[in-house]
Amino acid sequence: MGRLLSYGGGLTHARRSPSLSQATRPSFLLPSVLALLALLSACGAEQDSGLSRVRRTGELRWGADAQGGEPYATEDPDAPGGMRGFEVELAEALARELGVRARFVQNDWSSLVPSLERGSFDVALNGLEVTPSRSGRILFTRPYYVFHLRLLARRDDAAVTGLDALKGQRVGTLANSLAWDLLRRSGVEAVPYEGVEEPYIDLEQGRVRAVLMDDIIAQRYGQPRPGLRVVGDVGEGYYAIAVRPGEEDLREALDTALGNIARSGELRAIFQRWGIDNAEQQRMVDWTDAQTREVLAPTQTARMGWGQLVLFLQAAGVTLLVSVGAMVLAIPLGVGLALTRLYGAGWAARLATGYVELFRGTPVLLQLYVLYYGLAGVLRLDPISAAILGLGLNYAAYEAEVYRAGVLAVPRGQLEAAMALGMPLRLALRRVILPQAFRVALPGVTNDFIALLKDSSLVSVISVVELTKRMTITAVDVRSWLIPGALCALIYLAMSYPLSRLARHLEARLERG
Amino acid sequence: MIEVEKLSKRYEGRPVLEGINAVFSPGEVTALVGPSGGGKSTLLRCLNGLESFDGGVVRVGPDTLAPGDVRAQGEKVRRIRRRVGFVFQQWHLFAHRTALGNVTEAPMHVKGVGRQEANERGRALLAKVGLSHREDAYPSELSGGEQQRVAIARALAMEPEVLLMDEPTSALDPERVGALIDLLEQLRADGLTLVAVTHEMRFAYELASRVLVLHGGHIIEEGPPARVLANPHHERTRAFLGLGRVPALRTLGA
Repeated sequence: MGRLLSYGGGLTHARRSPSLSQATRPSFLLPSVLALLALLSACGAEQDSGLSRVRRTGELRWGADAQGGEPYATEDPDAPGGMRGFEVELAEALARELGVRARFVQNDWSSLVPSLERGSFDVALNGLEVTPSRSGRILFTRPYYVFHLRLLARRDDAAVTGLDALKGQRVGTLANSLAWDLLRRSGVEAVPYEGVEEPYIDLEQGRVRAVLMDDIIAQRYGQPRPGLRVVGDVGEGYYAIAVRPGEEDLREALDTALGNIARSGELRAIFQRWGIDNAEQQRMVDWTDAQTREVLAPTQTARMGWGQLVLFLQAAGVTLLVSVGAMVLAIPLGVGLALTRLYGAGWAARLATGYVELFRGTPVLLQLYVLYYGLAGVLRLDPISAAILGLGLNYAAYEAEVYRAGVLAVPRGQLEAAMALGMPLRLALRRVILPQAFRVALPGVTNDFIALLKDSSLVSVISVVELTKRMTITAVDVRSWLIPGALCALIYLAMSYPLSRLARHLEARLERG
Repeated sequence: MIEVEKLSKRYEGRPVLEGINAVFSPGEVTALVGPSGGGKSTLLRCLNGLESFDGGVVRVGPDTLAPGDVRAQGEKVRRIRRRVGFVFQQWHLFAHRTALGNVTEAPMHVKGVGRQEANERGRALLAKVGLSHREDAYPSELSGGEQQRVAIARALAMEPEVLLMDEPTSALDPERVGALIDLLEQLRADGLTLVAVTHEMRFAYELASRVLVLHGGHIIEEGPPARVLANPHHERTRAFLGLGRVPALRTLGA
């Protein structure tokens, strides 16, 4: 999918983003279903510790996402089916230390942790940052890489000197990453992205003031852009290997193995081969257990409170704004398309049909990407406008069909009667056909609007924080999907239910005429 | 008022009207009769540009309609329609408007008459057709006869010089036909020109000043109703009127 687009990296490089199809589903469902499955399987599991299982099977199954892009772990273009990347080499070295083979298991990046919990693989090794929310849920080994949070700004924007200069400004990063936490603590307006290319596109376009990302990512995807400059490194973090809770023996064995390959110089040799070595990495060699304890020390988890509720209501406001705006655009456009299809000249009718087929037949997510990132060079829209325009253009195609059905349901004699009174076609359509067609179309329009209310969650891919995005951010913060999920569902219902009531009331009123 | 010259129309290769010549003079009431498929409804619809035709012309006052004008559905056709009203067999009242709304719609939006004036004139027309008490009713709440009266009032609201009616009696109870004839009689007295397609011979007898018999796309006979209906010259007219076998019956009976 992403390869269709010229800036393909944005979609292909989805290491921190759900895949296209993934993003269209409510992402909180998957983890909870997986957690349930993990619970069920735990009941019947044989009593076999992590390390002895790895030894017995003779392989270390490591989960990662091949879509993650360089230099982490990707498919080897020269050897189809093979893998390459510094984490591939790291996994092989660790397996060798344990006396087993390494086996790569493909898994979507966003669900690595739940998949690890349910036992799809023994370890997750794929640029997992040590964050409080993760270390509260799973076991981490000692870190294997220290990265810096690198701040980039536009070359012509000298006023950005550091995070302090960015208070209240929009700064892009990946949602729920270490950088995300740092930005929010710094009083900066953190703009969440799901891919690593998009924030830099937006920085070039002036839609964010700066971008804060792991230096490995900044180096590959930000720094090569001529319009951007490095402001500096403003924080640091670690990548570590995730192990299932209760498998402390496997973690200890991996810690020992990591210590061995670090001290032997093999670890930094791997980093050198992939161009990500630097003096800082010596700390990985000299690492002590005391440091591990310090890094992994539990911190206070955020809790759901009134402040969160306010954020939820704000996000609901964004959802409502985007949905209403898109519908206000989609209705007249849809009416125009429907009438053009039915009464327009041959070429115009074909054009309208083409529009409907194009916008109905391609994913709205793709359309949003093209509109916001693909056309960024010619059409510089802010995220909310792009969201409204994108959804509006898409829903116009659906509205067109609803109205076309409505117009076709009006008896032919009505148009003839209007014409026989000397009305021109336009007037006859406006005064006689459309009011009656609208009555037929109303249930369909209501239905579409409720669908739109929920589809508006897709605009989080263009960095708009609406209700669903707010829910996922909060869920990771408070390490629970239950309460944020229920609150989110409740707010959606509170928005859609009155709407269906209103529509039924309108239908009843129109029934008479 | 309306002149038809060499009007012809084919439908899917089959001739529907062939070289029709006819004149509808002011104040005249014409009944178009003939067997089904004879072309009478098609001829009626050609008179105000509702139906396209392939040859000949229709003249209404100063305007001349040629086949291309009907296809274009331009200003000329609309000008003619403002002088020639049409009442459909199924009436086709605007389902989303009240009786009064149906009557005022075209004056307000086609002629640009103000709401108040349109309402006043609309109420007067509804009174004329005997429906003053039903002005707020929607079409779905009206009986067939009432709907037809609203449809007549709606057409009259545009102050036409000619009123075309397609099968006005076909959906009425027999006792309603008399009331309709009375109403149309009154309109004729006001100077309205009427052309009606009908199967109802009583209607033709009592109201028409002239009968045109259409068969196979031709006018096969025309004249005053008393003459055409009582003593048709054409064999086909006799057959259509059920008179064809009368001599035989007479021979057999007495």
